[in-house]
Amino acid sequence: MKKKVLGILCCLILAASGILAGCGQRDNGNPADGSEKNLENDSGGQSQDRGSAGENSADSIICYVGHGFWDGSLDPVKGGFSYGYDFINNGLVRVNPQAEYEGDLAESWEVSEDSLVYTYKLKEGVKFQDGSAFTAEDVVFTYETVMENQGQNGEVDLSKLKKVEAVDEYTLMFTLEEPFSPFLDVTAQLGIVPKDGYDSVAFDQMPVGTGPWKVVQYDTEQQLIVEANEEYFEGAPKIKRVTFVDMDNEAAFSNARSGQLDVVMVQPSYAAEALEGMHMEKLETMDVRNISLPCRKPGTFTNEKGETVEAGNPVTSDLAVRKALAIGISRQEVIQNAFNGVGRPAEGWTDNLVWGNTIEFEDAKVEEARKLLEENGWTDEDGDGVREKNGVKCAFEVYTPSDEQDRYLLAAAVAENVKELGISIEVKQAAWDELVEKTYTQGVVWGFGQYSPMVIDNQYQSSHFTVQAYSNPSGYENQKVDDLIAKAVSANNHKDAIAAWKEVQAAYAGDYPYLYLVNIEHCYFVSDRLYISPDTQIPHPHGHGIPIICNMKDWEVREKR
Amino acid sequence: MSKETCVSRNRKKEGGGSGSRKERIGGFWNWKERMGGFWNRKERMGGFWNQRRKTLFWIRFAAIYLLVVLVDGLLMSPENYGVDYSAKFIAPCFAHPFGTDYMGRDMFFRSIKGLSNSIVIGLLASAVSSLIALAFGVAAAVKGGLIDQFVSWCVDLCMGIPHLMLLILISFMMGKGGTGVTAAVALTHWPELTRLVRAEAIQIRSAQYVQASYRMGKTWYEAAWQHMIPQVLPVYLIGVVLLFPHVIMHEAAITFLGFGFSPETPAIGVILSESMNHIATGKWWMAVFPGLLLLLAVMLFDVAGENLKRLLNPNSGNE
Repeated sequence: MKKKVLGILCCLILAASGILAGCGQRDNGNPADGSEKNLENDSGGQSQDRGSAGENSADSIICYVGHGFWDGSLDPVKGGFSYGYDFINNGLVRVNPQAEYEGDLAESWEVSEDSLVYTYKLKEGVKFQDGSAFTAEDVVFTYETVMENQGQNGEVDLSKLKKVEAVDEYTLMFTLEEPFSPFLDVTAQLGIVPKDGYDSVAFDQMPVGTGPWKVVQYDTEQQLIVEANEEYFEGAPKIKRVTFVDMDNEAAFSNARSGQLDVVMVQPSYAAEALEGMHMEKLETMDVRNISLPCRKPGTFTNEKGETVEAGNPVTSDLAVRKALAIGISRQEVIQNAFNGVGRPAEGWTDNLVWGNTIEFEDAKVEEARKLLEENGWTDEDGDGVREKNGVKCAFEVYTPSDEQDRYLLAAAVAENVKELGISIEVKQAAWDELVEKTYTQGVVWGFGQYSPMVIDNQYQSSHFTVQAYSNPSGYENQKVDDLIAKAVSANNHKDAIAAWKEVQAAYAGDYPYLYLVNIEHCYFVSDRLYISPDTQIPHPHGHGIPIICNMKDWEVREKR
Repeated sequence: MSKETCVSRNRKKEGGGSGSRKERIGGFWNWKERMGGFWNRKERMGGFWNQRRKTLFWIRFAAIYLLVVLVDGLLMSPENYGVDYSAKFIAPCFAHPFGTDYMGRDMFFRSIKGLSNSIVIGLLASAVSSLIALAFGVAAAVKGGLIDQFVSWCVDLCMGIPHLMLLILISFMMGKGGTGVTAAVALTHWPELTRLVRAEAIQIRSAQYVQASYRMGKTWYEAAWQHMIPQVLPVYLIGVVLLFPHVIMHEAAITFLGFGFSPETPAIGVILSESMNHIATGKWWMAVFPGLLLLLAVMLFDVAGENLKRLLNPNSGNE
């Protein structure tokens, strides 16, 4: 009997707590709704009927642009949207379809003789989405906030910036600690937030900017809904509402197949599929894949920080091997096998970059590569198909990140391809933290692609080896290259800087510290009713997925032809 | 869990001697008896397919299947499942009964090799796990006291952590790959069997002949070796056999999750997780056939184990 009573009591308590919890949720919900409405009223008072903008209606679209982009803060001060193109916030400058910089919020800019002072003239009459006017004060506020909280922002590095001042309402002056020519790239990456309306907490979810899109709703790792900013200073976007969903690639593909998505990013291995009502867009990128080949002889290496690590590889430290790989493999065949032919052979940085200067050469020269190896003592004595030299097998490992199937496919295709040269590559997968250490002694597949030429410094500057993760992974060391990089960084105008960066590329070309393979293309299925304005797409930087939205303000929904 | 209930059921039977399994389950099975059906008559008349023969048949069938897969996989040349980019994504056909994958590898050979790897690990792991279980279980029962408490504590500790978590932790700690998986599955499958062995041994401990042997001056070690282990052996052997499918499934599971074999190794878990990338585009054969192969292996072992249990059990053994 007692037990029964106890049981009934328990049930009652459970039920009561359930009801209470339900109430709690409803209570929490109400003020949130209210604040959302307030926000809408603030932003110009043109509250749209949200209910009517249903799925796939005439001026609203649903996109999938990759997994994991919507998992952090949207606040530019904390590194949100630092891709260099307009979305919610604008930067001072931006990249145009020719991959050159043009003014965004800035009208024009100039650099002083000693390359320390950058002066920007701002556009007038620009308004934030909350209705306040955009002035130099907002820029100063944004840059100073980032400088103070640099730790929160891993995307925009302002460590070279000494101070930023507003000369007048529409003129800005940046003073640098030391000459740093890529500062222009930095000003493209940082979106400007309003000084008066900035709220560090609210901006994580609902940033306010000058950009063509404003946030309606953001659910971390689920969805981001944006609406057109009718007041945008370059004209309101034609599409009024965009929903970005976060799911995994396969789920997104299945959703697209059932007609629920207007844009879906896919891996190259899906590019040959056909989806009803959608077509494939392969968009140009500056994203290259290469394999770092450790340039040092095996041994220990002590870096600036005093850490000693095992570094070097007996096989890839031989220039002959690196060169034989570069000229001996057939890049076209590798691309065919790994990516179904999607992508272009690459032997260095792409020529759609203003500073790109790749010394191109013919590849798939198997005979020449074999001869080069023979001449340098790599011969196959025991007849197992792999060459040896002084008892060392011409074999090494190539690691790929375990979360990226494509890089594994690429490395596996390379491994197949170099077999005929008598070189054996064992492809392995590992987590990123493991890769960072493996790269000291073995090959790793990397993906790089950005507008800033600092990527060259990052990859070839000798002092970066083992000091910074992901930097100079092959341990390349060349005094001439280091000097030229320093010259490029301290150039006081864009032209000289670019010339110097081109010189750097010519200087390291003969050393083949990286085996460049492919300039990938970003693949998307796009609904036939949607026009994504390929002419105003900028060459996509690294990060398959999100770059397609760089010109989303130019997209149009057209009726099915 | 099911093992335990089975054993307790058996024990009940030994005590009460309450008839055959069919009677106990009742209802559903009885129609055969009532109808005096074909099978039933044959069984009663000791026809060819009596329980014993059926049991032996399943055990043999399972053993042959697993042996063939094991040996075939061990002796297979890597070229059979090598990369061939000219044969990507071929649907099952005569030349490739299980089709090919995104690198043109033959899925039939790859699956067999993978299953063979799994079986090797399964054998190794269940051997290690069962030895730990036997040693722990008998020691706990015979010595009692502190040792018993310690063993029980270890069992509770291991069973308190979700099994998959424990597997992942150990595999990750051991550096993943073949070593990681083997260590993980070998070191985590002993607790349940330990409980079984311990319970069985405790029962025997109080038997008169064991007590008598103590009185005659046998040491605990001799008593355990001569009187306990032979008695515990049937339960133990069945436990080992039934452990095996668990081990294989867990190996496949942690590999599937990316904490086991690396992707270049043919393993069922790797194959299944890779096939997930292509299932949305309709490459069904990459998942279905290897999955079936794994399922078949696991089920056969399970059937063999259950049958073995019936055969070794004095009550049901002669049915």
